[in-house]
Amino acid sequence: MGSDERKQELFGKMKEGVIEYDEEQVVEAANALVDEGFDAYEGIMDGLAAGMEVVGELFDSQEYFVPEVLMCADALYAGLDILRPKVDMTGREAVKGEVVIGVVEGDVHDIGKNLVKMMFEVAGFTVHDLGADVPIDEFVEKQINTNSDIVALSAMMTTTMMGMKKAIVKLKEKNPDVMIMLGGAPVTGEIADMFGADGYSENASNAVSEAIKMVAALRKM
Amino acid sequence: MTMTHKERVLKTIKGEPVDKMPAFTGFGAVLVEGLEKYDLRFAHVHLDADEMAKAAAATSELAGLEAIVVPFDMGVEAEALGATLNTYPHSEDLLYPTLRDKFVHTADDIKLPEDIANAGRVPLVAEAIKKLKAQYGEEYAVASWVLGPFTLAGQVMDLNELLKMSFKEPERAEAILDKLSDMIIGVGKAYIAAGADYLSLREMGATSDVLSPRAYKKQIKSFSQRIVDELKATGVPVVYHICGNTNMIIEDMAALGADAVSVDQKNDLKASREKLGDDVVLLGNVNPWDVFTQGTKEDVQREVKASVEAGADAVWPGCDIWPSTSTDNIKTWVETSHGLTPRRSGA
Repeated sequence: MGSDERKQELFGKMKEGVIEYDEEQVVEAANALVDEGFDAYEGIMDGLAAGMEVVGELFDSQEYFVPEVLMCADALYAGLDILRPKVDMTGREAVKGEVVIGVVEGDVHDIGKNLVKMMFEVAGFTVHDLGADVPIDEFVEKQINTNSDIVALSAMMTTTMMGMKKAIVKLKEKNPDVMIMLGGAPVTGEIADMFGADGYSENASNAVSEAIKMVAALRKM
Repeated sequence: MTMTHKERVLKTIKGEPVDKMPAFTGFGAVLVEGLEKYDLRFAHVHLDADEMAKAAAATSELAGLEAIVVPFDMGVEAEALGATLNTYPHSEDLLYPTLRDKFVHTADDIKLPEDIANAGRVPLVAEAIKKLKAQYGEEYAVASWVLGPFTLAGQVMDLNELLKMSFKEPERAEAILDKLSDMIIGVGKAYIAAGADYLSLREMGATSDVLSPRAYKKQIKSFSQRIVDELKATGVPVVYHICGNTNMIIEDMAALGADAVSVDQKNDLKASREKLGDDVVLLGNVNPWDVFTQGTKEDVQREVKASVEAGADAVWPGCDIWPSTSTDNIKTWVETSHGLTPRRSGA
């Protein structure tokens, strides 16, 4: 078992690797973390997710744009792929749960969805990703089959917003306890209320930063 | 002297004096009420020249919009390159067609049609333009639009791949954009040959919501420039549009030398007008969903006036008009515009 100083050094390297979208540095530090017997879950939260939190700030301040965020996400995944299998769940609060995620029919844009998915994966959720342009019934079916706690619906365009409304009605009808999250450009808080959703992110760029903020929030849990 | 709708529209785009401020757009404005008038189904109007023409013209007939614009969906160019269009024929909802195949990974994957004017639905849209010109061309402006190469790339490529490529392998991305620019010029010229009175170039995806202003200048601008130059060389006016945050690149947009620049509701139009001065023709920037579709008559009046006060030469919606918008709200847009003093009057 290595020293605390060494642990912090490796966390720092992972964090920096995510921010600088340096996959190699992240992989190296994540491997060292595992080899030297440090806690993988801490590495995910205090290394990878901590880096993504800074990326969110850089995005908000318009130093980073979507391409940079996507590359940071790749670097994060490179580390996550190494660390996640090593996470020891014994003695932890709980496996967080399961989530069904997808982009509603009529919409083929999946970047926002992919970032939200990443957030759930970082936090330890089991994610059932239905992809983009998904008919409403598939969300309902998947939720029932997996008994997922959350259904996250994404739509970037006004044109597909009405599909969300139908999906929410159907999902709540089958299972009133399921939590529904909406994301995408045209969905405002008002519309989310109107449709009976439990959470939303305001627009395209907010979908990116909201997803990252959720990572930050989950780190604190 | 009273001008025709067409004169008013074209003079406004060219920055010339007009008798009244016109109400028009460069994007789709098909309405459910228009579809009902001609007993048309939304999923099918994209696939038939006659239906497309009727659906487009109905908005002018019902609400007095001064330009008639086709097509409605964003899939024409991509389909002509080989992508499969999904019109959602079985959906009960209004869904715009989308494209399924993300078949482009390098420039070699793009096979430009030998005869672009006859590829995919390009001839169908051209036919709709011809029909509209024949029936309404004296009175109304008949217009069309093409996608910008970056936006088109986002249709035929996985967007994650495109965005990362533009950063990691810029030359590879630029080779793709270059080829797509050739395609777009070919499509635009086909519409112009069919009689389009003006053309909008919609590089909607190249917004600062997605790309840095630096990336816009380095990777997008030169392709937009080539397309604007080639289309303008035909003598037909060109409007250049980008969605979302555009204040950081508005000067670059104006510098392309298109006849007019169009921005959406996320642009601070007053700031843009101050930056650009009086000579540039600015079109914008009412939120089509919040104001035209969801808003009351008063909302429409207020927002139309606000855009003009901020510096618009004429009020354009930031995007396509959502079909469930009422003809009454479109009428209010037209009436309110006609009641305002044009920025360039004196005709």
